[in-house]
Amino acid sequence: MLLETKGLTKRFGELTAVDEVNLQIQEGDSLSVIGPNGAGKSTTVNLITGLLNPTEGKVLYRGEDITGQEPHEIVQQGLSKSFQTASIFPDLTVERNAVVASLGAEHGSFSLNFLRRLGNYDDVLERAEQTMRDMGLYEQRHVEAKSLPYGDKRRLEMALALASDPDLLFLDEPTAGMSPDETDDTVDLIERIKEERGVTIVLIEHDMEIIFRVSDRIAVLNRGAKIADGTPDEIQGDPDVQEAYLGGVEI
Amino acid sequence: MSVVGSVVGFMIQTLAVSSIYILVAIGLSITLGTLKFVNFAHAAMYLAGVYIGLGIALELQFSGDIARSIGLGNVGLDLGFLAALAIIPIITFGLGLLMERFVARPFYDRPDTDQILVTFGILLIVQELIRAFVGGRSLTFSRPAWAEGAISLGPLGTYASWRLAIIGITSVLVLAVYLYIEYTDVGLAVRAGTEDTEMVNLLGVRATRPFLVIFGVGSGLAGAAGVVGGPVFSVVPEVGVGVLVPAFLVVVVGGVGSIVGSVVGGLLIGAVEVGLVMNAPTWSSVGIYALAAVVLLVRPAGLMGAVEVDE
Repeated sequence: MLLETKGLTKRFGELTAVDEVNLQIQEGDSLSVIGPNGAGKSTTVNLITGLLNPTEGKVLYRGEDITGQEPHEIVQQGLSKSFQTASIFPDLTVERNAVVASLGAEHGSFSLNFLRRLGNYDDVLERAEQTMRDMGLYEQRHVEAKSLPYGDKRRLEMALALASDPDLLFLDEPTAGMSPDETDDTVDLIERIKEERGVTIVLIEHDMEIIFRVSDRIAVLNRGAKIADGTPDEIQGDPDVQEAYLGGVEI
Repeated sequence: MSVVGSVVGFMIQTLAVSSIYILVAIGLSITLGTLKFVNFAHAAMYLAGVYIGLGIALELQFSGDIARSIGLGNVGLDLGFLAALAIIPIITFGLGLLMERFVARPFYDRPDTDQILVTFGILLIVQELIRAFVGGRSLTFSRPAWAEGAISLGPLGTYASWRLAIIGITSVLVLAVYLYIEYTDVGLAVRAGTEDTEMVNLLGVRATRPFLVIFGVGSGLAGAAGVVGGPVFSVVPEVGVGVLVPAFLVVVVGGVGSIVGSVVGGLLIGAVEVGLVMNAPTWSSVGIYALAAVVLLVRPAGLMGAVEVDE
């Protein structure tokens, strides 16, 4: 088991945003988390990646309890996240963006290397370059991130999450705001990442077409609680899911 | 004097005044950019530079009330100006690390107003401690002998060597810090952190240490500003507040978190101030506020800033 949550719960005052959610993610098995707006999808991911601390429950990564660790510690263990909003460093070049992200995975703690010249770690630069090539951004490496077209910005964002060479990658609505062509390219890219890098992907998405193309399993959240969990076929036929998520409409 | 001569003269005087503001402003700007911390106590590093610098370079006379009552006399290492210039940044770097740990860190998550009240309070405490020990009267921080007199720049005219020395020293220091930020891992973390601190953390980079180092570097520059500024501005306890205001305006004009912005902002503030002092002295401080107000109206993030001041 790569990642497991046990009774994960987050309360904001009276509101229970995430209610005893149990998820299991096998290595290499891509999971999509779906649910109506406000179902607690993003909150669940934020609890796992350390951005929020759970009120109750545990997060186990490779069997080890990582609940309540700092975000940078969790990233260094191999979990990475790409964000809903464009989270890049707009004034840095594409290359520097990639280097910052690569730095994170292994050398992000800055022990005693205050005077180290940028690029003294070959592995960091290599990984940054490889990531830029994989994401088709290498030609634009000297461009400031803010001058990239929208679709490329979103890909750079994914590149940042990938540069730490994660085993588990969370993608929060990776195609939000993209044109149909850009969406198609991005889904191809996600499939390639899955295959070539062997990254396990957890996808948060609204678009059913993407979900069925990419996921091996689907977990459905509604009002903070998990109401179904299974293969795309099982989910498609599940009456609870149709009721809660689609208001009874056939998928 | 020829037209060229007076233009060059104006420029050199501007550069000399700007130099000191720039050296103080860089630390303020970086701390505001990376840690979102409004640090008015930064000017205490300038005071440390002036007074400790005077004690290292020449001699510091303790003639405040408290010093007299405990019989503290004069303390002076008499090592000369260059020794002070070399030692002070190291001392103020250390003081900066202490300040980050014990003053800044407890207030990172507090509102700007809390930060301003506390750090301005600390600046006033340091100022009054100096008055109590050293005394409130103006001291003399003599220029080093090698910088007395004037240098002829051929057809451009003859200028005070001291001003040229200030410009040279500042250029070297600012360039060194610029290169440090541009070409090291720490610098990259600082620049990325200026744009989005949370994101840096989420990428697995623990930015606390780079931010701490850069806090110290900024303090070191402010200390150096004190040594350089001692012989230029008066040596009185209030000089800390005196340089804080223009340095803060430099940050506002240049933009938060940018060294180039601090340099540009410093040159503009310096030019306006020198220009007005030469032609309409009573308007000189009004002028720099007016410049800052105009820049804020036109470009709220400052000329080179990535983030708006209130973010």
